[in-house]
Amino acid sequence: MAEIQKSWRDGALRLSTLPLLLLMGLFFVIPLIMTALLSFQGTQYYRLVWTWDLKVWTDVFSQVHYWTIMWRTLMMALVCTVLCTILAIPIAYGMLHRLSRWSDHITLLMVFAFLTDAVLKTFGWVLFLDRSGVLNGTLEAIGFPPAAVNVLFTPNATMIGMVYNLLPYTIFTIALSMARIDGDLVLAARDAGASRLRAFIEVTLPLAKPGIWAGAVLVFVLSLGVFLEPKVMGGGTSPLAAELIRQSFETRVNWPLGAALTLVLIVIGAAALTVAGAVALWQARRVVND
Amino acid sequence: MTDRMEKRIADVLLYGSVFAALIFFYIPIATLVLFSFTKSRFLSWPIPEFSTRWYGELLADRDFWSALGNSALLAVLATVFATLLGIGGAFAWSRYKFRFQWGFRILTFAPLLFPQLLLGVVMLLWFSVLAGWLNMSPGLWSAVIGHVIYITPFCIVIISVQMQGYDNTLDYAAEDAGATRWQILREITLPLIWPGIFSAAIFAFLLSWGNFYITYSLSGSTRTLPTFVFSGIAVGSSPIYPALATLTFIPALVLIFAVDRLRKRAARRRLSAIAES
Repeated sequence: MAEIQKSWRDGALRLSTLPLLLLMGLFFVIPLIMTALLSFQGTQYYRLVWTWDLKVWTDVFSQVHYWTIMWRTLMMALVCTVLCTILAIPIAYGMLHRLSRWSDHITLLMVFAFLTDAVLKTFGWVLFLDRSGVLNGTLEAIGFPPAAVNVLFTPNATMIGMVYNLLPYTIFTIALSMARIDGDLVLAARDAGASRLRAFIEVTLPLAKPGIWAGAVLVFVLSLGVFLEPKVMGGGTSPLAAELIRQSFETRVNWPLGAALTLVLIVIGAAALTVAGAVALWQARRVVND
Repeated sequence: MTDRMEKRIADVLLYGSVFAALIFFYIPIATLVLFSFTKSRFLSWPIPEFSTRWYGELLADRDFWSALGNSALLAVLATVFATLLGIGGAFAWSRYKFRFQWGFRILTFAPLLFPQLLLGVVMLLWFSVLAGWLNMSPGLWSAVIGHVIYITPFCIVIISVQMQGYDNTLDYAAEDAGATRWQILREITLPLIWPGIFSAAIFAFLLSWGNFYITYSLSGSTRTLPTFVFSGIAVGSSPIYPALATLTFIPALVLIFAVDRLRKRAARRRLSAIAES
């Protein structure tokens, strides 16, 4: 498909871009700038005061409480990213190469599960994992002691919920890039005497790298902002950064603090995206040079 | 290791992981459907007695109906705007070439890479200022704008995918035959990318319908189904929520299978068109 060169004076181009640019500018760029400005203000008696100082920022960086929660958030995001990536590779590969006849239907089933209201799904997990829930009830019926699996309201339950809600992202991106791999390359490797495993590791995996990276970065960034899973499944015992942000807006009514914490998370996410982008560029260049 | 053994191990691993994934994805959904038919007030396993009692209680709940109405209104508005903007965006993304296109791409794709809560919070700050100036409080209107910002990038991607492989010579041929630009758009381009637009609209509807984080931050005191359920389970698990879940699953399933049917029919038509030419 050839692209059509357009000038900004062209009506069609204006019609297709300007409304979108206006919307994004008004309700995405300006709010971001405002958040940055707001983080330099203060609050007194639950009211915003225009102080223009660094008080909130020194608070955020000097109090151990914030460091602990940020660190925990980062670690949870990293573990969640690794789990989602490792789990998604065999799932995506199996969907494409073992169950290819059914892959359309499997994809549909996953899309449905993915698009269902996350609050309800999280609540479903609570009912499943509860001390008197489906899992423990079933285990008890086959002879285990009551409440054998005591995972609900722990950080592990939070992790189950996070992986549950984010795994589709890695499955879909990895499956997309694996589907584009030329099957002849794998056959050639097999003909040249490579074992199945070796062909997979040396041909399929490197070629699927863009999808693996894209999925991993997406999951990492999105997992920085979860508060539903820690609250509902983790029982609120070990809050993550998003919960902190929610509290500073809602219960403490300290908007500058909330704005600063939001910016910290945005910067971490943007840094991850930049690193991944740089790595992708560097690899693409290496392929070209080879 | 022999080749046969290797194949067997790979088979077990691959089939196993796909099935395990499907089971994993459907554990909470199946749990909710099961519990929706309990008679007891307590949601514990095994279910002592089955009944449809909680469906009745749910349908008698006024808050449920108002949340349902808000969810539907929000989803319809968000779908219309996000799909229209997505069509324009997809043209600019994948059919045109223009100065500062990279900037346009970054700007229109960025919301997809934001954790939804942060997107919501950032917009909330701005909406509160706007609301102060315009003398209105955040509500359904701000939630609609938030949803459109979040969902439009998805629509752009889906419609762009449909535009891959679009043959520009069709446009040129029509232009040569004297068609105006508007006619080309209406009679040639839109019918050809229609399956993409339709899937984008369905996707947009479902994303908006099930959205929690953005609605939670932006809708003020207006409740939609997800925030209605959230405020309910924060207080204590009431047995009406599994019934609510089961009732809302059905339209989503129907919609998703409808999209698939349409996509397949379009693909088949394209195949037969190729075979004829």
